[in-house]
Amino acid sequence: MNALISWLDDRTGIKGLMNEALYERVPGGARWRYVWGSTLVFTFTLQVITGFMLWSAYSPSTRTAWESVYYIQHEMTMGFLIRGIHHFAAQAMVVLMAIHLVQVVIDGAYKAPREVNFWLGMVLMMIVLGLSLTGYLLPWDQKGYYATQVTTNIMSVTPGVGSEVQVLAQGGSQYGHMTLTRFFAMHAGVLPALLVAFLVLHIYVFRRHGLTVHDENHAPTTNFWPDQVLKDAVACLIVLAVVMLLAIFKGAELSAPADPAVKFDAARPEWYFLFLFRFLRFHAVEAIGLQFGAIVVPGLIMGVIALMPLTHKFLGDFGHTLNKAFIWLLGGCIVVLTAMAMIEDSNEAAHQAALAEAHRDAGRARELASGPDKIPVDGAVELLRRDPFTQGPRLFAKHCSSCHRYNGHDGRGSLITEKTEAGDVQVLPPTAADLGNFASRDWMRSIVVDYPAHFASWKNANWYKDAVKAEEAGEDVLYLDPDNSEMSDWSGLPEAITAPENEENLKAIVEFLYAEAGHGFQSASSENGASKEALDAALIEKGRAVATEGAWAGDIEGTSCADCHTSLGDDFAVTPDDEADGYPTLAKYGSAAWLKDFIRHPGAARHYGDKNQMPAYSPSQLTDTELDLLVRWMTADYLPSDVADYPDRRQQESTVSTDAGNSPPAEDAN
Amino acid sequence: MTEETPAPEDDAPASETRRNVLLEGITAVVSFLLIAVPSTLAGVFFMDPILRKRKTAGGGDDMAGFIKLDLTADAVPDDGAPVAVTVKSDLVDAWNRFRDVPVGSIWLRKSEDGTIKVFNSICPHLGCSVNYRRSENDFYCPCHTSSFSLDGEKTNEVPPRDMDSLELRTATDGIPSEDGLELWVKFLNFKGATTEKIPV
Repeated sequence: MNALISWLDDRTGIKGLMNEALYERVPGGARWRYVWGSTLVFTFTLQVITGFMLWSAYSPSTRTAWESVYYIQHEMTMGFLIRGIHHFAAQAMVVLMAIHLVQVVIDGAYKAPREVNFWLGMVLMMIVLGLSLTGYLLPWDQKGYYATQVTTNIMSVTPGVGSEVQVLAQGGSQYGHMTLTRFFAMHAGVLPALLVAFLVLHIYVFRRHGLTVHDENHAPTTNFWPDQVLKDAVACLIVLAVVMLLAIFKGAELSAPADPAVKFDAARPEWYFLFLFRFLRFHAVEAIGLQFGAIVVPGLIMGVIALMPLTHKFLGDFGHTLNKAFIWLLGGCIVVLTAMAMIEDSNEAAHQAALAEAHRDAGRARELASGPDKIPVDGAVELLRRDPFTQGPRLFAKHCSSCHRYNGHDGRGSLITEKTEAGDVQVLPPTAADLGNFASRDWMRSIVVDYPAHFASWKNANWYKDAVKAEEAGEDVLYLDPDNSEMSDWSGLPEAITAPENEENLKAIVEFLYAEAGHGFQSASSENGASKEALDAALIEKGRAVATEGAWAGDIEGTSCADCHTSLGDDFAVTPDDEADGYPTLAKYGSAAWLKDFIRHPGAARHYGDKNQMPAYSPSQLTDTELDLLVRWMTADYLPSDVADYPDRRQQESTVSTDAGNSPPAEDAN
Repeated sequence: MTEETPAPEDDAPASETRRNVLLEGITAVVSFLLIAVPSTLAGVFFMDPILRKRKTAGGGDDMAGFIKLDLTADAVPDDGAPVAVTVKSDLVDAWNRFRDVPVGSIWLRKSEDGTIKVFNSICPHLGCSVNYRRSENDFYCPCHTSSFSLDGEKTNEVPPRDMDSLELRTATDGIPSEDGLELWVKFLNFKGATTEKIPV
C-alpha cells in the first residue's frame, strides 16, 4: 500500500496535495461556527449526485416533462427519495447560503484582503439562485409553470433589453418545448459548470488567506484534519438527515401538469422568494413601478452587499458596524415579509380554496396517470382536460352556481357571497336546488316525501317573489310553487307515505327511482365488497310496481306516480311538445340522457314547460363536450377517485356569515 | 495554504496520538457515510430497470399473449414464398401506453405440408433484420451475412442458432379452430448472440 502511494506520489504529488488539503491550520481550534462553507459544498455534492440520477430519467418537453417526473416520483425505485433529496437540498442550500453570508458579514470576513473572495461568494450565490429558479420550472407542473411565468415577466421589464432577455430565456415568445430544453441546459449544464469553476476559485482564494479566525485564544491551534473535518462532517450529516427526513415525510410536491388554459390561483414562488413576492404586492411599490420593486430594489441590495468591503475600507470600524446593521435589517425585513406573506395566505379563504383545488388536481392527475391506460401520447394535461371529476366542478361553478349549489358551495368549494351595503360579506342563499346529492336515494326520497322542502330554495328567487306579489295583486300567474302544486299536494300526504304499512313501499320506490338514474357509483364496489350505493334488485322491482301500478297501501292505495308522469319506467325519449303529458317526464329521471336534455331544454313541455325558470343552455354557451363532462360528473361516470374532494359547506351556508375572511368575493361565481 | 503550515508530525505530541487516531476513525466513518448514503440511493435508483418487477403475462385465457395479425391464412402464398408482416400491439413505454402500434416484424411461410411457420425477423446473431434473398431463395442478414434456409435453419456458421420460430394459432372470431382464417401469433423477441433461445 505504502509502495503504491509512494509510486503515485512520485508521479502526481498526491501526498503534498493531501497535506495541503487536510493540514490547514485552524488557529483558535476547531469550532462549529466554521462548518457552514463545508455544508454548502456537501449540499452541492448531494445535488450533483441526485441531479445526475434525475437527469437519467428526465425528458424535457411540454409533453414529457411532467410525465417523466411523475414516473420518477411515483413509479421508479427510490425515485421519490432521489427527487425529494434534490428538492429539499436545494432549499437547504439557500438557507445555508444565507447563514454563510450573514456570518461572513458579522465576522468581517469580507474585509481586506478577502474582498475578491467575498465577491466570488456573491457570484456563487447568484448561480445558486439561478439554479433554483431554473429547476423550479423543470417538472412542468402548474406550480412551477405559473411561478416561473412571473419571473420571466419580471425579466421582461429590465430596462432596454427586457423583452429580448425574456425571449432568449423562454426560447420563443411564449413557453413551450424550447423553454424546457433551454432551462434544462442552464440548470444541468451551464450553471453547475459555472458553479464548480467559481467554487474552485472561492476555495482557492479562501485557502490563500486562511480562515477568518473569530477568536485566536479560544483554544490551542489545531489542524483542519481531523478536528475541524469531524465538526464539518457532523454538520453535513445533520443536513443530510434533515433533508432525508423532509424527503421521506413531506415529499417533493408535483402539482397538476402545466396547462396554460387553466388559471392557477395558488401560484406562489418558492418560499425563500416569498419576501420579494410580498414586497411587490405593496401598492406603494406597485405605484412606483414593477421595475423599481423587482429590479431596482433587489439590485440596490446586492449593490450594497457587494460594496461592503469598500464601506469598511473607507469608514473603518463604523463601516463594519453599518454593514452588520444592514445585514440584520435586511434579514429582519425578509423574515417579516415572508411571515406576512405566509400569514396572509393562510387567512385568505380564496387562496386556501385554490390550494385545496390544486391538491385535488394534483392527486387526480396522479390517479389518472397511474390508471390502466397510463398517460396518452398528447400528455398528462389531456388526462385532466377529459376528466369529468376535474372539469365537472369547474363547469358547474361557471354555469350553474349562480342559482344552484353543490353541497353548499359553488362546485369548487367556495361559498357564494355578496357584500351588503354595510360592507359585510354575506352568504347568498341558493335560488335552485342544491345538486350535491342529485339523484341519490336521499334526493329521491326527499322529493317523494317532502316536495315543498326539497324545492324550498325557489322561494329565494326574484321570479318567485315577483310571482307571489303579482298573485296577491290579483293577477293570474303561472309559476313553480313548491308549496302549492299538484306535486306538493300529493307529497303533502306524508302520513300516508310514511305510515308503517307503506314503509317498505317507500323504500322500494326510492330504490327504483334511484336505479332509474343509473349513476356510475351504483356499480362501483368499495374495498369491503358491495358499496352502500349498490342496488337492491328485488327492491327495485317492487318499487317499479309501486311507482307505475300504484301498489301503495292505505289512503293512497291505487294512486301511482305514473298517473301523471306517464313515461315513468320507460327509456328516456325526446317527446315533442304537442305529445307531452303536461307533467315533467320522469323517464330515466336523473340519468345522463335525461339530464343532458333537461339542461338543453328545461322549458320544453316534457320538462317544466311554461313554468320553467331555468335558462336553456345552448351549445354556444355550453358545448357538447362541456355538457358531456358536466353530466358525467353529476352522474358519477368517471374513474372513481380517492382524492379529497371539495369540502361539504352546507352548514356554513345555512348560517348567514358575516365573516369576511371566510368567503371569497361574489364575482368568483359567474 | 501558506508555507509556514506545519507538517502533521510536528504538532502532534505523543500524548495526543491516541486521541487523534480515535478522532480520525470517527471522522472517516462520518465522512464515508456522507458520500455512501446518497451514492447508494443513487445506485438503487439507477438500477430501477433491473429491480422493477416484471409484469407477468395474464394466463388462463387460451389466447393470452397472442396477437392477431392483419394477414389471414388464405393470404399466405401456397408456393412457400415467405411474406413479411408487421406485428401491431399495445406498447407500454415507461409512462406512456401506445395503442396498436408496430412492435416488430415477422416472416410467415407455408410449408409443403400446408402448415404455416412463423419466424421473428430479428437475426439471432446480433439483432439486425433478416431479409428474404430471392436469388438464393433463402433468408439472409446483410449485416454479418448470416443465412438461413426457408425453414429457418442456419446455413452458415455466423448465426449462433436457427431463426427464432414463434407460436402460431389459427382461430375464428378469436376462438382457436383448426381451419380458422385468423392468424394469431405469440410475439416475442429473443436474446441475441447465444445458442439458446431466451425470451427478453
